[in-house]
This record gives sequence, C-alpha cells and structure tokens, in this order.
Amino acid sequence: MKLLKSIVRPNKVDEVKDALAKLSISGMTVTEVRGHGKQKGHTAIYRGKEYNVSLLPKMEIEVVVPDSIADEAIKAIVQAARTGEIGDGRVFVLPVAESYRIRTGEMES
Amino acid sequence: MISSMSVTQPDSTGAALKASLQGAREDLRGSIARGAGGRGALEQYADRVDALIRQLFTDAGPYDGPLSIIALGGYGRRHLCLHSDIDLLLLFGNGIGAPEERFVNSFLNPLWDLGVVVGHQVRDIEDFQRLETDNPEFLLALLDARPVAGARSVFERFTTSFHQAGTHAVILKSLLALIDERHAQFNATLYQLEPDVKEAPGALRDLTATRTIALLTDPLLLRRGPADAARFDDAEDFLLRVRSTLHLECGRNQNILSHDLQERTAEILGYPGAEPRQRVERLMSDYFRHARIVTRSLEWARRTAPVPVGPNLGLTRDGARFIDPIQAARNPSSWLAAFQAALDSGTEVSEEALSCIQQHVDRYRADDFFADADDRAALLRFLKPRPGLYARLSQMHDCGLLGRVFPEFQAISWRVVRDFYHKYTVDEHTLLTIRNLERLITTEQGDRMRFRSILLDLLEPELLVLALLFHDVGKWRDDDHALESVRMADHVLERLQISGEQRDTVLFLIRHHLRMSLAAFRRDTEDPDIVKQFASLVGTEERLKLLCLMTLVDVEAVSPGTLTPWKAELLWRLYVDTYNHLTQRYGDELIERNQAGLTELQGNRPDDVTPDEITRFLEGLPQRYLHVFPRDTIYRHIRLARDIKPDEVHLSVEQNGSVWSLAVATLDKPFLFSNISGVLSSFGMNILRGHAFTNPNGLVLDAFEFTDDERFLALNKDGQRQLMCVMQDVVSGRADVTTRLRGREKGILQARSTQRFAPVVHADNKASGRYTILDIVTGNALGLLYRISRVISQHGCDVDLVLIGTEGEKAIDVFHITKAGVKLTEAEQTALTSDLQRTLEGTV
Repeated sequence: MKLLKSIVRPNKVDEVKDALAKLSISGMTVTEVRGHGKQKGHTAIYRGKEYNVSLLPKMEIEVVVPDSIADEAIKAIVQAARTGEIGDGRVFVLPVAESYRIRTGEMES
Repeated sequence: MISSMSVTQPDSTGAALKASLQGAREDLRGSIARGAGGRGALEQYADRVDALIRQLFTDAGPYDGPLSIIALGGYGRRHLCLHSDIDLLLLFGNGIGAPEERFVNSFLNPLWDLGVVVGHQVRDIEDFQRLETDNPEFLLALLDARPVAGARSVFERFTTSFHQAGTHAVILKSLLALIDERHAQFNATLYQLEPDVKEAPGALRDLTATRTIALLTDPLLLRRGPADAARFDDAEDFLLRVRSTLHLECGRNQNILSHDLQERTAEILGYPGAEPRQRVERLMSDYFRHARIVTRSLEWARRTAPVPVGPNLGLTRDGARFIDPIQAARNPSSWLAAFQAALDSGTEVSEEALSCIQQHVDRYRADDFFADADDRAALLRFLKPRPGLYARLSQMHDCGLLGRVFPEFQAISWRVVRDFYHKYTVDEHTLLTIRNLERLITTEQGDRMRFRSILLDLLEPELLVLALLFHDVGKWRDDDHALESVRMADHVLERLQISGEQRDTVLFLIRHHLRMSLAAFRRDTEDPDIVKQFASLVGTEERLKLLCLMTLVDVEAVSPGTLTPWKAELLWRLYVDTYNHLTQRYGDELIERNQAGLTELQGNRPDDVTPDEITRFLEGLPQRYLHVFPRDTIYRHIRLARDIKPDEVHLSVEQNGSVWSLAVATLDKPFLFSNISGVLSSFGMNILRGHAFTNPNGLVLDAFEFTDDERFLALNKDGQRQLMCVMQDVVSGRADVTTRLRGREKGILQARSTQRFAPVVHADNKASGRYTILDIVTGNALGLLYRISRVISQHGCDVDLVLIGTEGEKAIDVFHITKAGVKLTEAEQTALTSDLQRTLEGTV
C-alpha cells in the first residue's frame, strides 16, 4: 500500500476527487494547508503598501491505495491538478506498512 | 421676559383684601399653635391665597389678551408656609407689549401693598420654545405649576410645550446636580444637631426632589420604594409642621431648627416629657426617623429611576423600558426606540418592555411600525453595525417584533435546512452573521484586523446589515434561495422606501452573496481572468468591500470551525486582487461601441439627448464610468459636455444633504486637475470622493463630491455663482489659483502637521497596460489634491484618470498618469515619488 500525499491548488480539489473516483478510490482526507514550495510566495500591493504573501493557501489530499494502482492514481492526480504554472503543487508517495479498520479491528492489506 | 422679587409697604386702599389675608394668616397661626401646621392647614391657607389672587386678577382691570396666573414651587404644590414667598408666573399667550406691562403693574402693585413677598416671573408662551437651562431652579419650580387665575388654555399650551422628554431629561440632570451641591453644604449627612428643615439632607427639599424624580422618570416609581406612601406622607406632614412652627415663632422665613427653637417646637408639637430635654430628644428622634425615610427614598429613587432617554422611555438597571406601558402598547412605531436606546447605552431592553411588546405585537401590521420617514430613518440608524446589535436583534426576534416588522424574516424562523455544513437554524445563522460583523469592529485578532479596516471604512454599513438580514430568507423554500431572497427583500425595501443606488446595492449583495466564496475557495484566483470576471461583477470598490465582508461573516456563521485562517486568507487575496484590478486596471478597459451598458442608456435616453451624442461621449471612457454613475447623471454629463469649445468650462453644482457634487467638463489642458481641486480648496471645501476621466478626444470630465466645511455656500447666497466664476477663470487661465490659495497656506500647513498617517506613495508600471499607476494614501488635509497634482504636473506628467477617496481622516487617491503619452521610466517614477513623499511629509 502507498500513502499519496498531494498538495494542490484549492480550486483543483474537486477535479482531483473526480479523477480518483474514476479509479474507484473514494476514501480520502482533505485538509486546508498553507505553505510554499519553490514558488516562495510573492509580493502583493494593497493601497500602495507592499506585503509578502509567503505562505500560500493549498489543499492537502491524502489517499491510501494498493501498490497495484499507485502509479495510475499518481498520474490521475497530476493530470487533474496541473495548470502548467508555478504553484501547481506536489505528490508525495510513502509506503504504508499496515492498516486497521477501527470499527472491526481487522487488518487490511 | 421680566423677573424680579419685590417687597413694598402696604397701603390703605386694599383694606378688604388685607383683612382677608390677615384672616387667612390668623387661622394658619392658630393651627400652627395647636401643633397642626402641617399639610392640611397649609393647603387651606394656599386656597385662601388663591382666592385673593383671583380677586386681584379681577380687580386689575380689563385685559383682553390670553393670560394665565400660575402658582409655582411650594405655592404650586399648595404647601404655602406662613412666611414663604408667593411664587407666581404671569404667562401671556400673545406677546408682551405695553398693555401687558400695564396689566402686570396693576395686578402686582396691590399684591405688594398687602405686604407679601412675591417672587414673580413674567413670560410669553413663546419663551418656552427655548429652555432656560441657565435657570434650573425656575425649571424645577415650573414642574409644580398650577393655574390659579386667567385663561386655562394658556396654561394648557404651556403644559404641552414644557413637558417634553428632552426637557425632563435636562431638568433631572440639573436637579441631581443641585441635590449634590446642597448636600455638600451639610457635609452630606442628615444627622445635624440643628437641622435646616427645608434644605438639609432628608428635609423638605429632598422630599420634594424624590417626588420630582418620580414625576420626571416614572410616576409609579415610589410605589416600589423603601417607604410606603403613608410613611412618606407622614414624614412630609411632620417636616411641614416643624417648619410652620419655626415660621410662627420667628415671625419670618426661618427654617433652622436651632437648639433654642427645639424646646419651643417640641412643646407646640405636644411631645410628652417632664423635662424640656426629654421633649426635645423625642422631637429630634422623630425628626431623624422621618429624615432617614426621606433620605433612603431619595437615594433609592436616584438609583432606580429610569433615566429618560426618549419619549416614554427610560433606562434602568433592568435595561431600557417604557415609562408608561399602556401608552407604549398604543404606539408600535416607538418600540424600535427602546432597542435603539438599549443599544446606545450598552444595555438590553428590559423584560418588562419585551413582555409589553410580545403581548401587543400581533395587533399590528408591518406598515404600522414605519409610519413615516423618521421611523424609516430610525431603522437604518439602528442597523448600523456596533457591539450589541446582535443581542438587540435577538431580543426583537424572541419577543416576536422582528418577525412582525419583517414577515419575510418570520418565514425562516426556526427553519431547519439539513446540509453538511450549517449548524444552526436559518434565522440564527442570519443573526450570527450580524454578530460576526459587530465583533469585527472590536476584534484584535491579527488576521481579522485587515477586514476590520474595511468595515470601518464603509460609507453605509447599515446596507450590509440589511442585506445580511435578508440574504437567506429565501430558504423558506427548498430551491434556489438567493433569487427568492432577492424577491422577498425587494418587498422589504419597498416598504422602507429604500430606492435607487441603496436598493440596488442591497439586492446586489443578496443576489450574489455566494459568489465571492465560490470564486475565492473554488476558482483559481491566480488566473487574472477569474479576477477580471469577479471585478466586473462587483463593479466598484464599495460593493467589493461590502461583498467581501458579507462573505466573511456568512461563512463564519455556518459553524464555529468553518471560517479557517486558510479561507480568510483566500478571501483576502481575492479582495486585494479585485481591489487592485478595479482601481489600477480600469484605464485599460474602455467602453466600446457595442458595450452592454450602452443599449440600456440608449433605450432610456431623454428626448434632448441623441443616440449619437451618447456614443460619442462614452466611447473611449473607461468602463468603470458606467459602474459609478447612475443613468440620470450620465445624461447630465452628456449635456454638460455638449458643444464644448477649447477655452470653455462647463460646470454643474448640486447639493444632496451635506454633500455637494460638482461636475466639470472641459478640454484637456496643463495643470487642469490641480487647478480644479485648488479652487475647491481655496473655498475651504473638503473633497471626499471623486473621479477624473479623459476620453480619447481630449474631453475631460471631473466629478467631485465635497462638503462645505467652512459653510461658504451656506452663508453666502451668491456662493455657488462665485465658486463657478472663479472655477471658470482659473481653468481657462484668466486667474491664478496659487494666489487664491496663498492665504490659506497657513491653514494647510497646520492641517499637514496634524496628520496621523505616514504618507504612502507607490508607483507601478505593471498593473496597467497604458498608464503608470500612482497609489497615494495619506492623512486628508485641505488642499491635498492640489498639492499632489501640482507636483505631478510639474514633472511634466499628464493626469489621465484619478480616483479620489476618503475614509475617515485618510485620503486614498489613485492617479493614472503618463508622460508624453507613455508610461514613466523607472528614473522618472523615482524622481516623482520622492518629490511627492517630501511634499506630503511637509518637508518642502
């Protein structure tokens, strides 16, 4: 199993969700996050005064998928979240050792 | 008005009257000597003096005009002591001239001849149009006014004009100050060994003051006081008997119960005891007992009495309440005043008042609450966001008033809409949006302070509250609620007679209340097209501010965790990007021949404006022009620009309340903008808002809104013409504005020195495709625009477009400038901004 941790633009969440749904991946955790990557934010001007927008609002989508469809899921996320501009985000892939269903206590592989 | 106090010697001509007065006095003396000089005896004596006054009035000879002889003070209360002054008001109903003065003399002379001390006041009824606040004792005496002789109608006219809530409030304030002053003379203690039975704490004046406080605030107040009415009356009777004894023994108006007089008084009042000392002790013990009752009652009344805050309204510890609930029940348009008073005083509406409203609210229809323009204006005033508004609106809702005033709101009362987000019923969600807005005013939360500054800058924040109140009323149905809310809110606005721009703004906010959250949270706001579309939807900065705040407080009212710092940040970014788009990029978006707004303008054009004229005037102006000016104003501008010749200046001035509008149409020339703003400043006008537009044909249209702070236009009949003449002369180059402004230099410098904002000057070449944008934020001051635009012109730059705004003491100006038709180079920008910075800091 793999944990796919994607940082995407806020407006891309629905598209990523839909793309994953097509792969029958429905369970996910979505979190509002703020941060920056290479982009490092930018300078904004309001009424003549400059201020730094260093931490940009992003969405973090976490899904756990079987190894067999991990590549396909990563591809789907990248395609759905891409605009081609700086600030499109990242997908981190982490191995998952074990997973337990809390309601029943059973282990899933 | 005439006022005096006189004593003259009696003469023999009024023998019968004198005998009558002597008889009355002898009878009173007899009563006092028997220890019965209390209330009953004094009232009888007052009645006999009344008869005497009536006789003197008849004898005074023919007087045809309206006149009332009125007893004041103690005599007005019929507590006329043996040697008290007889206080009279001679009140004329039709002016005071020679015949009135003749009558006054022929009435008063015989009275003086009787040897009585008369304190008389002569007034015309019109004198009571102005309250004699410098004479509080007189105002207090007027509260005891009682007609004795003459026309009752004059007395009734006086009563109507004198007994007003505002007058009562002034008198109450004066009375409380007089009490404190008087008590201070007695070291604020009633336990005096030789008390003054009139003036001391706990004595007669305090007793009267207690009753006066009740009269001025709540006539039923004393029923709930620490002493029942019988004990209070006993105290009064006792104090009057003592005072009468002192008058009898001393033969004059002497009120101090001195050691010498205590024995004799105790004896007359029949106190038992073998020794004089025992009798005196019993007398004084009675005195202190009664004085304590009076003192406790007075203190209680001062603490408990509702402070008058409006007609039939008082503030108590329980909150704002109706003085007379029966009267309140009949007057539903007065109910809002109770909520306004509570809001103003940072308190609540009392349970008693809420019960009264709840009990009677169903008798009235929505229209009954806003019968006239004052009622409607009062509602808008009430809806200005401030701490306590949510709590008051909740009280209004709980007692059924809100739903009755706005049946549209009633439709969502306790309405449950099940979705994944909302945690509260629709009505409570709505009221919580208003709570969130009012909390913003006092917030110290870092990321909310920026939204707070938007709120504090709003021109009409009550419109936002109105929009919030009705933004979800359409949820009584299950389909698209925003449109249904608009339909319902339109009925409300019609009832409140809110029309024009205000109505459009409220309906705009309701219709689009979900659009900003959609754009901010679900769209890519880094895409300039998304921002452009959103900017085109809102049209002006003011609407952007309103919609931004509406979105913020609406999201926050969904559930405690819905408005995350993440969402607040996205919202703020969209706000800033849209604000910048509206103020900095509008010069690139010009009106084209087939522009959408043009069709409407063509379709509604008045007969004297041709379609071609409209197209020629608008083509090439920024699209923003269509957003900021209503249709009628646009037609007015078209007429103003008609047939303009190179040296001509066409002007129009209009007044709307305290704000004046000036529109200037002319052909472009150097220093034009600084000349126009300079002329306004030279007349002391405070420029609030404005726009300057230039079209490709060189036509310049400047529109200013200003206030006449020095009242030049108000005080000079010819002021408007003078202003327009000077404007013509300066703009066409026949006069120099610098000379005109020189006299004001000192004032300008003073204004500069008091500015509290460090000036911000920022030049930008990226925002617009055609212009260099100059953003200036600084403290507002007379002549500010003149000084800024003069520096710009001195740098050889053309001022093509200007946005002028003020928010409180801040001036926010955005200039679109070019030099020889192109943007400024970096070096030119630096030179200009440095110069401007120095000018604004007052260092040049």
